[in-house]
Amino acid sequence: MAVNDRSESAVRTFPVKPKLKPTTKKSTLTPESKYWKSYKPKQTQTLVSSITSLAFSPTSPHDFAATHSATVTIFSSQTLEPKSTIAAFKDTATSACFRYDGQLLAAGSYSGQIQVFDPKKRSALRRLQGHHRPVHFVSFPRVDKLHLFSGGDDAVVKYWDVLSQTEIHNLIGHKDYVRCGDGSPASDDMFITGSYDHTVRVWDVRVSDRGSMLSVNHGAPVEDVIYLPSGGLIATAGGNSVKIWDVIGGGKMLHSMESHNKTITSLCVGKFGKDENDFTNQYRILSVSLDGYLKVFDYSTLKITSSIRFPNSLMSVAFSPDCSTRVIGSSNGILYAGKRKTKENMESDKPEWGKYAGFGAIDEPEKRVLRPSYFRYFHRGQSEKPSKGDYLIMRPKRVKLAEHDKLLKKFHHKEALLSALRAKNPENIVAVMEELVSRKKLLKCVSNLGVDELGLLLRFLQKYSTLPRYAGMLIVLAKKVVENRIDDINGSDELKGCIRNLNRLIKEELRIQQSLQEIQGMISPLLKLAGRR
Amino acid sequence: MIRGGKSFVSSPPSFSNDAKKLLVCTGNTVSIFSTDTGLQVTELEGHTALVTSIIVEPAPTPASTILCYCWTSSLDGTIKYWDFSVSELMKTINIQLPIYSMVVPSFLAHKSENSEKLSDIYAYISVEDTKNEQNKQRNELSGKILKCNLSKSHLVPGVILSESKKPEKITISSTGKYIGIHEKRKIRIWEVPTKDLKNISPRKLKLSHTKNLSCIAFHPTDRILVAGDVTGRILIWRGFGDKTFAGSNLENEKLLKDEDEKPGVRGNGDADSCTTWHWHSSEVKVLSFSSEGVYLYSGGKEGVLVLWQLDTGKKVFLPRIGTPLLNFMSSPDPSLASVSCADNRIHILKMPRMEILKSISGIKLPSPVPEMFRGSCKDFVFDHTAGLVAVRTENYCIQFYSLFDDREISEVQVCERNHQPSDDVTMILNLVALSFEGSVMCTVETRMAEEGIGGFVTLKFWERGSQNNDFSLSTVIYEPHRDAGVSAVAFHPTRGMALSASYGGDFKVWVSNHEIQQNDRLIQRTRWACHAVGSYRKKPMTAAAFSNDGSVLAIAAETVITLWDPEKNVLVAVIGSTREPIENLSFIGDSNFLVSTSQGSNSQLSVWSMAKLSVSWSYKLHTEAIACSEKDSHFAVLVVLPESSKADVATSHSGAILLFNAGDPVPVASWFVAKAKGGGIAFIQRNRSLDDDMDENEGQVLLAYVNGEHEYAVFNPHGVEMQERKVRHTDSVSVTGPEVTGQIGYASIYGKLPEFKLEAGAESATLSERPWETIFSGPSHSLPPLTKLCSDFLESLLKKRTGTLI
Repeated sequence: MAVNDRSESAVRTFPVKPKLKPTTKKSTLTPESKYWKSYKPKQTQTLVSSITSLAFSPTSPHDFAATHSATVTIFSSQTLEPKSTIAAFKDTATSACFRYDGQLLAAGSYSGQIQVFDPKKRSALRRLQGHHRPVHFVSFPRVDKLHLFSGGDDAVVKYWDVLSQTEIHNLIGHKDYVRCGDGSPASDDMFITGSYDHTVRVWDVRVSDRGSMLSVNHGAPVEDVIYLPSGGLIATAGGNSVKIWDVIGGGKMLHSMESHNKTITSLCVGKFGKDENDFTNQYRILSVSLDGYLKVFDYSTLKITSSIRFPNSLMSVAFSPDCSTRVIGSSNGILYAGKRKTKENMESDKPEWGKYAGFGAIDEPEKRVLRPSYFRYFHRGQSEKPSKGDYLIMRPKRVKLAEHDKLLKKFHHKEALLSALRAKNPENIVAVMEELVSRKKLLKCVSNLGVDELGLLLRFLQKYSTLPRYAGMLIVLAKKVVENRIDDINGSDELKGCIRNLNRLIKEELRIQQSLQEIQGMISPLLKLAGRR
Repeated sequence: MIRGGKSFVSSPPSFSNDAKKLLVCTGNTVSIFSTDTGLQVTELEGHTALVTSIIVEPAPTPASTILCYCWTSSLDGTIKYWDFSVSELMKTINIQLPIYSMVVPSFLAHKSENSEKLSDIYAYISVEDTKNEQNKQRNELSGKILKCNLSKSHLVPGVILSESKKPEKITISSTGKYIGIHEKRKIRIWEVPTKDLKNISPRKLKLSHTKNLSCIAFHPTDRILVAGDVTGRILIWRGFGDKTFAGSNLENEKLLKDEDEKPGVRGNGDADSCTTWHWHSSEVKVLSFSSEGVYLYSGGKEGVLVLWQLDTGKKVFLPRIGTPLLNFMSSPDPSLASVSCADNRIHILKMPRMEILKSISGIKLPSPVPEMFRGSCKDFVFDHTAGLVAVRTENYCIQFYSLFDDREISEVQVCERNHQPSDDVTMILNLVALSFEGSVMCTVETRMAEEGIGGFVTLKFWERGSQNNDFSLSTVIYEPHRDAGVSAVAFHPTRGMALSASYGGDFKVWVSNHEIQQNDRLIQRTRWACHAVGSYRKKPMTAAAFSNDGSVLAIAAETVITLWDPEKNVLVAVIGSTREPIENLSFIGDSNFLVSTSQGSNSQLSVWSMAKLSVSWSYKLHTEAIACSEKDSHFAVLVVLPESSKADVATSHSGAILLFNAGDPVPVASWFVAKAKGGGIAFIQRNRSLDDDMDENEGQVLLAYVNGEHEYAVFNPHGVEMQERKVRHTDSVSVTGPEVTGQIGYASIYGKLPEFKLEAGAESATLSERPWETIFSGPSHSLPPLTKLCSDFLESLLKKRTGTLI
């Protein structure tokens, strides 16, 4: 016959709770930003120097090439490990580009030479000489096996016949370095180039003699330009803005996105969708900048949907056509290659013996009759979900009581304080102290503590009493503890050490407070002036 | 006019004979509750002052338990006899002295000679002799115990059992043999004479103790008396009155023995022994024996009901009732009992297990406020639209009480802390404020520091959900004004904006911002964040109010009123000064007047004109509360009358409500009220359900007055008629409907005893449908011996089986 708690008694029990912390206004992830964050970058690869370009092979398995210093490295998109390295460059390699069938890879170089490789063989098949200055842009047209565009720092755009290594057209119009360009997804003959003369020009090789068909002025040296998948819109990057233009409608600017803080270095088109077959696939512009941010821009709603920060300046970005891989190259050679975890590749991780188990009919495991000899027998029906008409009776929630709560319930105040101190959770300790204060028992507890227990308390005070959250209470308490227990402290070297530490911390805190006040003194006249305006 | 909010626990309640009803003294009336549902069934109205005791006339035979007669006594000096099944007054006896307690011994005595002609019923009443007091002021013995013949409705002349300084509560043993009172450190016991002869005064004895006693109880069969004292001890005198009451034949032998050994008995108290139990840490308030006398129930300030085994002293507890216990009543049905608590709540207990079945709760009584918070505490606030009053309780809750229905609506636990009723107050709920439409609540609580450690103020915002009526916590702000206490909280009338003013000299404007989380489904939640901070010459801000359209914010900075634009947080104007700090501020409806009150030696009621920014008129009045109507320019003030003027009006009226028109210093109407100190008033909108029969003045508002003891009245301030209206009991139909007729113990086996008539030969025992289910339920002492039961039990099973076979 002891005191027994009844759930039906009139008053509920409340465990001692710490003060709530201010919650930061955490923006919960939208499904889209979750999607883009799901490309967990594996930062395994450190290449030699700045990664000037990245390109995915259009054919499965979508390997990708990265140009950095005088090499092109081809990575497997499955393992994200380098497969082969092509080092046949005299100077820094630029602008790697795959042909639409993935059979050829072209890359420019600072030497002005364009080389065409078989990605599997790593020896140059063709060398296209013609540019006199570094080539920063090389591209195959959409489904043309024979030709190539290029643009160089000599402000000339060239149209090449790859087979014969001859230049078919020299397209003149830019007045400064041509640094970027893209082939139209709608036509083999049309492409755009962007230049440091702030213009983006649209070319058509069929009417090459008349110069560019259209030119738009971005307003800053153009760092990258891409066609959006429809072929009617282009996106240009220069300075810290991305602008979207309607090239069919005569080069009208549709939108300007200025959310980067530094120069945008590269753009690419990414797809947002659960998988390839998802018809809700929507195209996004991915832009990277020297400020280290990757921003995802939804150009249908004209909104930035995601923004991810990387620790380095970013130089190049590419997104695999099957949406499985995203690669970002940084200026110090770190390659952030990330694969999205999909159900498919999680399943492929599993051993696949089911396939080889037998060609004959595999027995479906029969549903066995549950008998009391099975453990599941005792759990039958427990996971049953309530149907719609059922009236749910919730089981009353059990209040979880920590050890100090139980001790407080029994009015063992000192033991409760000690139990909290031993558990070492500062929030709970302060909560227990507050409860003791409201029972007017804290100082009594302090005076009853043994020497070892006092050490425990002093160490806690030393650690946390200058923390702003707890300072209001703990500093006063520390003072009282020292006042009340001065004899015990004098008697023990260990406690003296604690006090010394406490003293040091308090002095430090005083210094901090003083400098903060100085800063406040400096700021407050400014604020006054600002408020008067 | 609606009255309500009466205390349920001022006097002990009483069970009806069938234990289906509980009769509770509620102010001037007796309310009858159903023990099955815990809802009110009916009311007995007739007394004009507080009802002090109810005695249900016991049924003469077990079959006639449906008989519903009771005697009530009241401070208005009358004893009334009721048939409470139809709530009809049968008889009134006028004693002309306020009766504090009444017992009727003959109801309890088991009379075998019942078949004889009914003898007169005598009652012992404890009265305050007010006549005597008026004649000779010096005679302090005003409390008297008198004997009254209820049958012939007159006092028995010349019988004054005792005189004491003030009227005491009479305790009676359950056999009706002894009655006793406790007075300070003494207990006086009388033996009730079996033959009610006029001349014989009853034999009496005295017992004494070293501490003030708080309650006593008699053992039902033996001569054992228990008493509780203020320190929490329970004293047990065994064999009291051996000399005085017992037969004289034993006296000689006993005397010799008693002379040398009477362990524990003080003085020359007439008892065998006195033992002490000490478990309670503070005053024992409840002592009661179980009907057979094996167990003793005790309770006190700790809010724990303790069940003692009398012989061994072993204890069982019903812990954490949460408030001090005041009364314990056992019922004729051994499986029911009731406990009255100090928070105006009566718990109905399922007995052998001491499990709370139902709770009958009234409006929470005012909780004590420490001296330092006297000014900054507000006991209750009104919800104008819903006709609710939000009362702060001692265990850190807010009780919402409906003024129209006179019952509790809900309770919100504001602070999650275990309340120990016997502890000192170290944490207090200072302020409550409700937004205009009643959907947002703001509470301020203060934890007191222990020698400067760890005290802080917390401001909490609560939101009412769209469908359910419960408030949920929205935002917690610790130390909103650093160390300073919050003096006032006001809500913007239309927007999600609130203001808290502090004694520390600043005020903060809080705004709510909605945020919608789209996490699978829409979760909407509101956060309150600080919008602006302001101060005026570092003066303590003592009161605050928003104007009716929310465009102006008036904050009292001690003696001046500052007017602010709440949106831009710009000081617009400063008006006037009063002599004392302003305690209360309010804008008057749609007129451009502002009313302020200040308390102290130069207390003042001032009306300020906003057009001229100056005083319009003022009175020197001690104003407790202001209420301003929303629409027109009326306002009402609750004024505590000064001591000197009390001689003029009746002594019970300590205050007055004055109704003013803003521009005019002559009151439109006035009413005298009682217990105005700590009271409050408010204009509230007429409840929809009351409108149907009063629709000629629809849209009018009612004035609600809650006095210092949380009794209230709601009336139409403009109407001429002041007829008292019955509170409608909307659910009285469902209450009186299906009454559960479970049978227990003996009755479950044998059925109810038939009325014994001589010619009734045939046994008409109606077996209940399934006797084996209830056969063993009930406490063991009320069951027949097990050997007897067993055969019956088996038999009952057998009978059933043969029945189905044939």
